[in-house]
Amino acid sequence: MHKLTDSILDKFSMDFLRNQVLKNAYGNDDTVIAGLDPRVLLIWYLFFGLVPWFINDVVLLLGLFLFVVLTTRAARIAPLVLFLFCVGVFTQTGYLLVMALFFGGDSSLVAPLLVMTLKVAVVSLASVTVFSGLDPDRLASGLLWFGCPDQLSFSISFAYRILPVLMEEFQNILLSYRLRGNPPKKQGLIGKIRYLGYQVKLIIQAFYPLMLNTAKRSRTTVEALELKGYRYALKNPGVKKMRLAMLKVTRNDGIFIVISVIWAACSVAASAAIA
Amino acid sequence: MNKIEIDHLTFTYPGAKEPTLKDLSLTVEDGDFLAVVGNNGCGKSTLCKTLNGLIPHFIVGDMEGMVKIDGVDTREQEIGSLAKKAGYVYQDFENQIVCPTVLEDASYACLNYAVKDYEARGKEALRICGLSSKISDYVWQLSGGQKHLLALAGAAALSPDILILDEPIAQLDPAHADQIYEVLKAWNETYHKTIIVIEHHTEYIAKYCKHVLLLKDGKAAWKLPAREAMRRTEELRGSNIFPPQVTIAAGRMVQEGMLPEDTTLPVNLEEGKNLFEGYLKNRTGCMRQSFVPTEGEQMAAFENVSVKYRAVKGKAPKILDHFNLTIQKGEKVALIGSNGAGKSTILKMMMGLIQPEIGSVLLKGRPVRALSKEEIGEIISLVYQNPEEMFIKDSIREDISYAMRVRKIPEYEKRTDDLLEMFRLGNLSGRDGRLLSGGQMRRASLAIGVALNPEILLLDEPTANLDIATRREVMETLRMLKGITDTVIIATHDMQLVCDWAERIIVLSGGRVIADGTKEQIFADLYVRNQVGIRPPQIYDMGRLIGIENPCFTIDEFLDCFRGECYA
Amino acid sequence: MDVKSRMTQSQKMMVFVLSMSLYGLATLFTELIPSFQIGIVEFSVEYFLFIPLTLAMLFDPLSAALGAATGELVFSEIMLGQFGGLGELEKFLTVTIGVYIAGRIVKDPRNRRVVAAASIIGVTVQQLMGCVVDILKVQFAVEDFEAVAGLPESVFFTEGFACLNDILFSGILFCMLPAMYLVPRLYGKIEPLLGVKPRDKETQLEGGVFTPKNIALILAGFAAAIGAELLASGGYELIDWEADWAGNSTSIIVGIIVALAVTAVAAGLIRSRAGRKASAEYRNF
Repeated sequence: MHKLTDSILDKFSMDFLRNQVLKNAYGNDDTVIAGLDPRVLLIWYLFFGLVPWFINDVVLLLGLFLFVVLTTRAARIAPLVLFLFCVGVFTQTGYLLVMALFFGGDSSLVAPLLVMTLKVAVVSLASVTVFSGLDPDRLASGLLWFGCPDQLSFSISFAYRILPVLMEEFQNILLSYRLRGNPPKKQGLIGKIRYLGYQVKLIIQAFYPLMLNTAKRSRTTVEALELKGYRYALKNPGVKKMRLAMLKVTRNDGIFIVISVIWAACSVAASAAIA
Repeated sequence: MNKIEIDHLTFTYPGAKEPTLKDLSLTVEDGDFLAVVGNNGCGKSTLCKTLNGLIPHFIVGDMEGMVKIDGVDTREQEIGSLAKKAGYVYQDFENQIVCPTVLEDASYACLNYAVKDYEARGKEALRICGLSSKISDYVWQLSGGQKHLLALAGAAALSPDILILDEPIAQLDPAHADQIYEVLKAWNETYHKTIIVIEHHTEYIAKYCKHVLLLKDGKAAWKLPAREAMRRTEELRGSNIFPPQVTIAAGRMVQEGMLPEDTTLPVNLEEGKNLFEGYLKNRTGCMRQSFVPTEGEQMAAFENVSVKYRAVKGKAPKILDHFNLTIQKGEKVALIGSNGAGKSTILKMMMGLIQPEIGSVLLKGRPVRALSKEEIGEIISLVYQNPEEMFIKDSIREDISYAMRVRKIPEYEKRTDDLLEMFRLGNLSGRDGRLLSGGQMRRASLAIGVALNPEILLLDEPTANLDIATRREVMETLRMLKGITDTVIIATHDMQLVCDWAERIIVLSGGRVIADGTKEQIFADLYVRNQVGIRPPQIYDMGRLIGIENPCFTIDEFLDCFRGECYA
Repeated sequence: MDVKSRMTQSQKMMVFVLSMSLYGLATLFTELIPSFQIGIVEFSVEYFLFIPLTLAMLFDPLSAALGAATGELVFSEIMLGQFGGLGELEKFLTVTIGVYIAGRIVKDPRNRRVVAAASIIGVTVQQLMGCVVDILKVQFAVEDFEAVAGLPESVFFTEGFACLNDILFSGILFCMLPAMYLVPRLYGKIEPLLGVKPRDKETQLEGGVFTPKNIALILAGFAAAIGAELLASGGYELIDWEADWAGNSTSIIVGIIVALAVTAVAAGLIRSRAGRKASAEYRNF
């Protein structure tokens, strides 16, 4: 169990985490997926995010799954994100399976759960492709075009701005605790639990200074936003138009749509043939 | 024509008892380059915030009197139209950058105000600020100085007629500081902007500014042409502003009768040369030898260390490249080098926060890698550049005693009291560290740093962001360390601190040590000086310029050469 | 409630930014801290909801609540690519409601008991709503839900247990205790940093917690949450799906076409809902 906290604080060091997140956001802005029009990708996502829920055909689902695996590859997603995806999918359905067996289920359970896992996997990978494959500014513009509030698109781009800063600060504060603190010995089960409790308590306590420091920062930020006309832009529809003017559907988008349609059609044909 | 007219302005923050600005009147001409100087808390920042409409439009408070920009009352203008007239760069400029990429942030304001060619405007502002090559970079890839230039470009992109900067060079090495001021000069002279800076580096004021405004207790004491203002040494020092060293030196010489009463005080090296040369009596100067430590116990060592950044994209750049360094017991070491030379990395490696890729870092002969964080904490202590990150408890007393308390050190209460007493924090002990003034914060962070009696103390930029009076306070505090921790390493840009305090100077450049020696050796080495853009105190250069053979690091040493005697 | 509130727009924005960045950062970690199990009891650090709870008790509750929900959406969902589409709207709304209620309850942040009670109530509200939505979700996602042996029970049990577990474990350890520790400590210290007066008799929010208007708003929000979740995981309700259609290949093609239609509808829905939300909830900023 102490491995757990070690993994948070050492292997998953703030540096590593920060690096992975930034890599995911900006490290892959030269991929095919990142070059596509965000609007096209969002519509594509609406299809791959919704349709699988209707389908109960394993072959068809497998076909779609293969396709989203390929798009995920093309988007060069950071390993951490893929790892989280796997953990998410398998803990969700695995846990349900164990519990269902516990309540007297039998092998008839496996098929519907497999189908459900596939559904979840297709939908999640599609979302990973779109939301991690696009860089945040393009994603924000795409969402804006579909009528999401400006505040959301501002939040996205601001989040990417502030994340490295916040992480560094949090890292330094945690470090202050670590260097000055004196954690309990982690021998034996009780020691390990105590150590774990100590670490968790430390992370929570670290939010006290972090809150105050961030409050100090956010005052400047908000004043600067006022000066830079943030609120002014919300009232002016022309600004939105200008921001969206950079979105252009290109030939690559067309090719991407065609491939998607053909792939989906082939999957349908395959499933029909096997049935 | 007057760009700004302020008429009997009084402003009180909500909840404050006293007004911050009291009956202040001021006019600023179009095209001026004005420096605002004054004590901490005399209302400099507040004054600037009345110019861009933050007061009274966003900061509610009691405002009397009138502020007119281009002849129009700020109260009658929208914040949008005011922002197009006055751009503002904060002291904590990092928090003013709101977009993740450089070009986006520079053109953000133009976009929000629906300026058609917003990208072109952003690019143009970046070009003038010298960031053309960084257009597609992400903000976190920039150095501190570049971020400052970006904040400036973001404010200037709307092409306001007035640019206001709050302490623009407080955290920069001299080369970057020069760059900022050259950019400001270009905005002022080529693009005819009115520039207002809050500044306490008088050498820069003397070199670049046209006028100086002295604020005292919320009132305008005077506004004078910059050179004339610098000569008012007494009044400036009364407000904790230190005029250029040549001016101070000449002023003292007049007082002591070495120069005639009616001497016009020099404000820069050239004027100084013309004046001082005729009066010089002793060309040798003082012969002193800095303390050279004998071979002592080895406290820390870097053995053939290489380390890289984690790169987001592409190849990882090397910070340290086969780096070797040994620190002995009792040394007072200053690590200097330009922003990004690897100073902080070295400190972090000694704390075990960054592990070397090749080679090893030793603390008292044991590799850092093998020590636990808590063990490291007992040998070595790091005081961060940003003292706020040291405050993890809700009062200074708690913060100082925390490490001793959790380690169950006997009589930790008494030691806490002693430390509070020693660092003159007694009456502040119940306050939260964050809410203190800059100097108090530094003192508190030092007290926290030495609480465990560490054998090595590391300080990262202990004087950044401080005005000169507070810097002196920090230097005093450093002297208090005597007897507690005798091995101290400071990473800094502050050459005054280096000259006054350090016994060994290590100059870093490109991940290697390019010079290592006493201050006399380092500053005499012109190659090193040019390579890393370090700059000795002005008085040192003055001495060299008029041909004093042995270096002068203080005004007293300099004056001795005119007395024709030498107290060695 | 905006009428009498003493906070200016930009101060509300500061609270929003503060809550968004801090809670966003925290959710980024909770995504990464693995859960561990002892027997069937799963101990997961579900969330660090104490952050927005604390801010909601000290400042404007609605700004803090919206900030937290946005922060989670942006930092942990979009940044880590965990975005679950429309279903995220469910979490967005339940978090907003839970935090908002808790923030409204507290009149004096120095009173630890009220702070504790309010945070537990906030968590419970959020969790219960989430639990109901989750059960409905599985019911619609799995074909012939009732017919699969053991599945309904297991779903009810796991969801119900997870909910209880979250309230008791995360709720007490990660919401109530930290809030009790932080709120009185930050009170009077953090407000001046934002240029706000601490919450007291004069500046406290007008009106009670459970005014008819609030309840109506909350119910509407909850309904929207369920709607969004169901839309995300099925859409059966909308298009009157007949179960016996499924199973032959032509129906699949038809299904895809219908799905495309739903897609279009959904796009329209997001648009109008977002539009309404923008005008209704975000108007503050």
